[in-house]
Amino acid sequence: MLTELEKKVIASIQGDIPVSENPYRDMAEKIGVSVDDYLSVLQGLSDRGIIRRFGATLRHQKSGFTANAMVAWQVPEDDVEQVGDQMASFSEVSHCYRRNPAPGWPFNLYTMVHATSEDECLNIAKRISEKTSVETYSLLFSRRELKKTSMKYFSKE
Amino acid sequence: MHSIDETDKRIINRIQSNFPICLRPYHVIAQELNLDESDVIDRIQRLKKIGIIRRIGGNFSPEKLGFFSTLCAAKVSSDKIDAFADVVNSYPGVTHNYVRENSYNVWFTFIAPSRDDIESSLLEIKDRTGIETINLPATRVFKISAQFKL
Repeated sequence: MLTELEKKVIASIQGDIPVSENPYRDMAEKIGVSVDDYLSVLQGLSDRGIIRRFGATLRHQKSGFTANAMVAWQVPEDDVEQVGDQMASFSEVSHCYRRNPAPGWPFNLYTMVHATSEDECLNIAKRISEKTSVETYSLLFSRRELKKTSMKYFSKE
Repeated sequence: MHSIDETDKRIINRIQSNFPICLRPYHVIAQELNLDESDVIDRIQRLKKIGIIRRIGGNFSPEKLGFFSTLCAAKVSSDKIDAFADVVNSYPGVTHNYVRENSYNVWFTFIAPSRDDIESSLLEIKDRTGIETINLPATRVFKISAQFKL
């Protein structure tokens, strides 16, 4: 369970922290706690793994990873654990999840792959397919961004 | 594309995770990379200004905060995509939404306090748009990494 102070700290660091000498002092001030208390709550959230990753988020397109594809794979259920681990081991794969199939949608394993071109995405998928012997898959290239934002947890808006 | 040098790359590679939790985090980064604090601050400010760094902050697992997250997909004819997106995007828990090349052509992520909240929102979306959405929650996570080595 999270305390009210932890929720306030979470709400304060889910945005963008200041790029200045004492960023946490300013953030602590905003929620009315001392910077020492703020830092110890923040450290606790980090130690407990509640903050999954703390740091900079890049814009892929501007940092050279200009193409990305979601790849949906149809994997025999008995092989999912092994194949999932194999796919996760590819450095070009940023995300790998198992999801239940749906009516008319037989795929059960999903990877996000990032590269410098769509051809390179296709090559990566082919290499993953060869390594895992999973031959039924579909690349879903993004054609238009309709929304991209960060979740706002515990915010008072 | 704006140019970034080797020092920028070292900074970017350092600050994508384990951002220091202490009074002067940029000073700690500067020490680790053998740079001046003011130089690190100036460079990060520039990297944000030119759009390479989107934000610096915390990223959470919805489940660890007691939330439920899922991936949803729908088949939407091209003339209805904007209207469908207006409805779907109006939910604050919809954080990413893309048109993708497939018969299921609209894909969005949805975070909510419970699985029931998501189910009822998807029914509401169907009522408002006439379009059915498939709900594909993850049952197993093999990898999540938003770290890119430059």
